[in-house]
Amino acid sequence: MKFIIEHLSKNFEKKEVLRDIDFTFESGKIYGLLGRNGAGKTTLFNCLNRDMKTDGGRFYMEDGGLPREVAAEDIGYVLSTPTVPEFLTGREFLRFFLDINEKSIQDPRPLDEYFDYMSIEPEDRNKLLKDYSHGMKNKMQMLINIIARPSVLLLDEPLTSLDVVVAEEMKQLLRSLKNGRITIFSTHIMDLALDLCDEIVLLNHGVLEVVDRADLDSSEFKDKIIAALREESHD
Amino acid sequence: MTKTLKISFALKNTYRVNSILYSIKQIPLVKKLLPDALYQVHGLKVFANVLSLVWEIVSVFLGKFLYFILMISGAASLYQAEDPGKLFLHILVLLTVIGAFSNTFMFNPSRDKYYAMILMRMDAREYTLVNYGYAILKVAVGFLPVSLIYGLGGGAPLWVCLLIPFFVAGLKLAMAAYSLRDYEKTGRITNENGLNKFMWIAILALLAAAYGLPAVGIMLPVSVSAGFMILSVLCGAVAVWKILVFDKYREMYQQILAKSMAQMDDVNTMSRQMSQKVISADTGITSNRKGFEYLNELFIRRHQKILWKSSKKISLVCVCLIFGILLAFYLVPELKEKINGLLLSFLPYFVFIMYSINRGTGFTRALFMNCDHSLLTYSFYKRPDFVLKLFQIRLREIIKVNLLPAAIIGAGLAALLYASGGTENPLNYGVLFVSIIFMSIFFSVHYLTVYYLLQPYNAGTEMKSGTYQIVLSATYFVCFLLMQVQMPTLLFGVMTILFCLAYCVAACILIYRLAPKTFRLR
Repeated sequence: MKFIIEHLSKNFEKKEVLRDIDFTFESGKIYGLLGRNGAGKTTLFNCLNRDMKTDGGRFYMEDGGLPREVAAEDIGYVLSTPTVPEFLTGREFLRFFLDINEKSIQDPRPLDEYFDYMSIEPEDRNKLLKDYSHGMKNKMQMLINIIARPSVLLLDEPLTSLDVVVAEEMKQLLRSLKNGRITIFSTHIMDLALDLCDEIVLLNHGVLEVVDRADLDSSEFKDKIIAALREESHD
Repeated sequence: MTKTLKISFALKNTYRVNSILYSIKQIPLVKKLLPDALYQVHGLKVFANVLSLVWEIVSVFLGKFLYFILMISGAASLYQAEDPGKLFLHILVLLTVIGAFSNTFMFNPSRDKYYAMILMRMDAREYTLVNYGYAILKVAVGFLPVSLIYGLGGGAPLWVCLLIPFFVAGLKLAMAAYSLRDYEKTGRITNENGLNKFMWIAILALLAAAYGLPAVGIMLPVSVSAGFMILSVLCGAVAVWKILVFDKYREMYQQILAKSMAQMDDVNTMSRQMSQKVISADTGITSNRKGFEYLNELFIRRHQKILWKSSKKISLVCVCLIFGILLAFYLVPELKEKINGLLLSFLPYFVFIMYSINRGTGFTRALFMNCDHSLLTYSFYKRPDFVLKLFQIRLREIIKVNLLPAAIIGAGLAALLYASGGTENPLNYGVLFVSIIFMSIFFSVHYLTVYYLLQPYNAGTEMKSGTYQIVLSATYFVCFLLMQVQMPTLLFGVMTILFCLAYCVAACILIYRLAPKTFRLR
């Protein structure tokens, strides 16, 4: 399975944020999306999640060589600030989600199994989500996004504000999930990107390009990325 | 000094000009025509500058005129005072005392002060003296014409009228100097946006004295008022010296402004917390339904404080009012004829009443803040069939919540009509009841439709849509205007019913066509 973006562009009035995004993502890989502040990472995600209209180009899935439209349920989008419906308990949110998606979710499990999987403590499961901590909200958001098994998982700075333990748990989780789907992960933290991602993609001047690792070691690779980002922003 | 004056003017002006440009950009249609680089367009800037200057001049006088018309002369004309001059001075003196500590300029933590003194590190003493001096000058100049016009018109002697501007300025200066001295001695900071309990009690007491005492015939004698005014002017003169020699402006403002700026940045967080507070923490609330009905039932039951509870309260008040009037009919039979006439010609008035008791705005706000704001970030929630399904459920719920008071008011009006002597055309009873019900349904549909079509908030729960605000203000305005209309109940009732029916049908068609696209985060 492939996720293909062709000539995607997005302007805010005269400012071209995404100029000509042309890229093919392949399933089974975690892509680290790096870019400087204001480069348009979140805009790109918003366009792919159809929260925002694009000004040109298209994106589609390719299954076994056949192109098909991206359906809403193909995309899972985890925002940097977790958003969960505050008036529900964790258990209620999960139940609601499973209820309305019962047709599309294969092999649903008992609710507690999902909570165990995310290591959300039993006493927290019946608390209102407004009383959840940041990390727990994040886990909840991630859980909802992965149960549906989206083909493409977009993650916008998801680990930045988590404590070290939860961040490590999440990293493990993402690794275990990567088979059979495309994971695109935006971050400002270089080490995290190098540690977790199979490919490093730069978003610079409205264009996506892959940084070839070749046989560089970690620190040479870092230098190469920094140089690419720095150089391109000055031409 | 002149340089400080110039800089602070330029700063305030830039701030104001950009605010004007920003608000122009909020108007729908206009915003499409204007470029993003709006803040650099020369012609527009000149225009905004002129507006800003005009506003500066107008504001010197306009506010004072309104103040005199509404608070002093207008209010005074409501009493049948033998000595209008005495009453005029009585109200003026007491209100000025309130103004002296609640509207000080010096202790108002405004943004321009923060920019100038903290961010741009201007000399705090010089900045304050220049701007405070200018503000006091504006007070004196602004008060002069209105004092003469309304003072003389109100029957106060000329010399007192001439004294008024100096009195107002003098009392403000004296209060400011007192607060500065208080800071020097005790370190207590005066902040007019953070008045304490005693201040509020003082304000209420002074207001009560200003407007309440004249009603029972007690007023300050002219000699006392005049004496107090002269004393204030003298104190003001001494206070000028204190204000000039005070040398701790910088450290004082650092504390005033730091506190307030932190509060301002938190407005968003606070409004979110407020919304979350209305969520009931009762763990006994559960639901046995499925899917969206499950979501909806939990939402309604956890928000009963702003939905069912308040609608029940309103209903109870309506029941009491209706029985009160029925009792009044029994006690004072002459009332009947009057009320009967009103019922047959004042139905337009009820549009405004139904508007004010509708729970629609609170409902949509809670929907967004506590539910849609988060769920809209999940793609499953945005599936067109789900959006429409949930719209139906929500429409049903909000209509139900609003229907209870509406039914009581409708039935109550019909009962009052009957009890007050009835009508020749029995159709009136039906129209009265049905039109009230339809008004209620109309507002429910209206708010929810506008919310779904314009979805006014962004992910940070800030209100972003100018169109939405314009639609809401227009709604208010139309309802308000309808209060002025007098029309036979039968005619207006039938018109209302037809209009509401047409509106609901049109709204539902629009929702089905557009909502799956418009119901998004901004």
